[in-house]
Amino acid sequence: MTVRSAGEVRFSHDEEVMGTVVSFRILSYRCADQVLLEALGEVCAFLHYVDDTFSTWKPASPISRLRRNEVAISDVPAEIPTVLTLCEEARSISGGWFDPWAMPGGVDPTGLVKGWAIEQSAGLLSDAGVDAAILNGGGDIAVIGAPEGSSYWPVGIQHPWRSDALACSLAVEAAVATSGSYERGLHLLDPRNALPSRQVASATVTGPSLAICDALATALAVGGDAVWERIVGLAGVEAYMIRPDGTEVASDGIIVVG
Amino acid sequence: MKKYPAVIGATLAGLAGVLTFHTKGTSGSLSASLGTTQTGSAATKQTRGSQPSTTPSTSIASKAGGSTSQAQSSQAQSSPAQSSQATVAPPTTANSGPRSAVGAAAQYGYGVISVRVTVSGNKITDISVANLQTAESYSQQLANQVIPMLRNEILKAQSLHVYGISGATYTSDAYAQSVQSALTKLHFA
Repeated sequence: MTVRSAGEVRFSHDEEVMGTVVSFRILSYRCADQVLLEALGEVCAFLHYVDDTFSTWKPASPISRLRRNEVAISDVPAEIPTVLTLCEEARSISGGWFDPWAMPGGVDPTGLVKGWAIEQSAGLLSDAGVDAAILNGGGDIAVIGAPEGSSYWPVGIQHPWRSDALACSLAVEAAVATSGSYERGLHLLDPRNALPSRQVASATVTGPSLAICDALATALAVGGDAVWERIVGLAGVEAYMIRPDGTEVASDGIIVVG
Repeated sequence: MKKYPAVIGATLAGLAGVLTFHTKGTSGSLSASLGTTQTGSAATKQTRGSQPSTTPSTSIASKAGGSTSQAQSSQAQSSPAQSSQATVAPPTTANSGPRSAVGAAAQYGYGVISVRVTVSGNKITDISVANLQTAESYSQQLANQVIPMLRNEILKAQSLHVYGISGATYTSDAYAQSVQSALTKLHFA
């Protein structure tokens, strides 16, 4: 077996959490091994904490209790108002195409929280001394630094209809998220009518913040061409989408790498 | 648009990328230190107010370490009922001749999968499904479509072109995990 860039991954870990697997591939770090291990431990504990706090599937989670109006916003963990503030920002910049308040059953930040958690995790590892790493939580990807000799990470975009193929490979410098209805059927709801949306087969957004990318990818998957110009007009944000008819659109700043 | 066919031509399933990633050995500078630091594993500490029962089952799996226990513990801790033992057969002394192992059962959002991986020399020669359980028939159907493709990709791809896949499927992740743990059991690096 050969790896294109030899011997790069110094550290690898996979954590099952938030209904998926978060993988850590660490290429370089300047801290002691023990410091790295402790930081990874803290990050994994944080991810489980986020899962417990934000899971709308767990009836006893703070977010579930908030949704049932059993607790006031002032009585839930501080991460919830933090995330909801980001949700408001994402709702605003997406022109309402991402709207956790329009979902049935009360406010649902699920479309942003996984990206947020992984972005926070990358920040924690960076602070601990990690210089180059890629964190992938079920397709929501945050990176630290870049592989040696490169200024970006080549990241494949899953082909929406062919499990054995990538639609393309993009250059990622900070974060990328992809949303689409190809694997789990129609799980994306249009905030205007809470009905399943099939505007886009696959929607990918790159940008500086994975939390925002995650939300915008959801917005793009639901809004398609109607929200395209708005999203690609945001500073530092690039997008790539595949329409249901197979046609593709990529914003000017998207770099497709071979 | 025009790049579409070309890009698809350059296809490399995520999985294969992820996989080859893991199987590449490193110089081993880390392996010595890992042996000692791994014990207190990283992730038993909790930073926030999470319940004790949610202590993450982190076992830092360094490829450099290559110890069998890494792969076993990573799955076994999180799902003891589904853990599977390494069945390395036949034992060989050299890194040649076909050898196979069953990877740990890996959970994904909609089921559990474990695979048997056969290697010969430095090549993966086959991958078969040792066990697949899904919650509903739709997931079963989906998995049955996806798995042969994943298998082909792994067998086909022997080099890494991407560092990760955005939008990768749940099934793919679990499949990759199980394959990876089988490879670790085989000391395949």
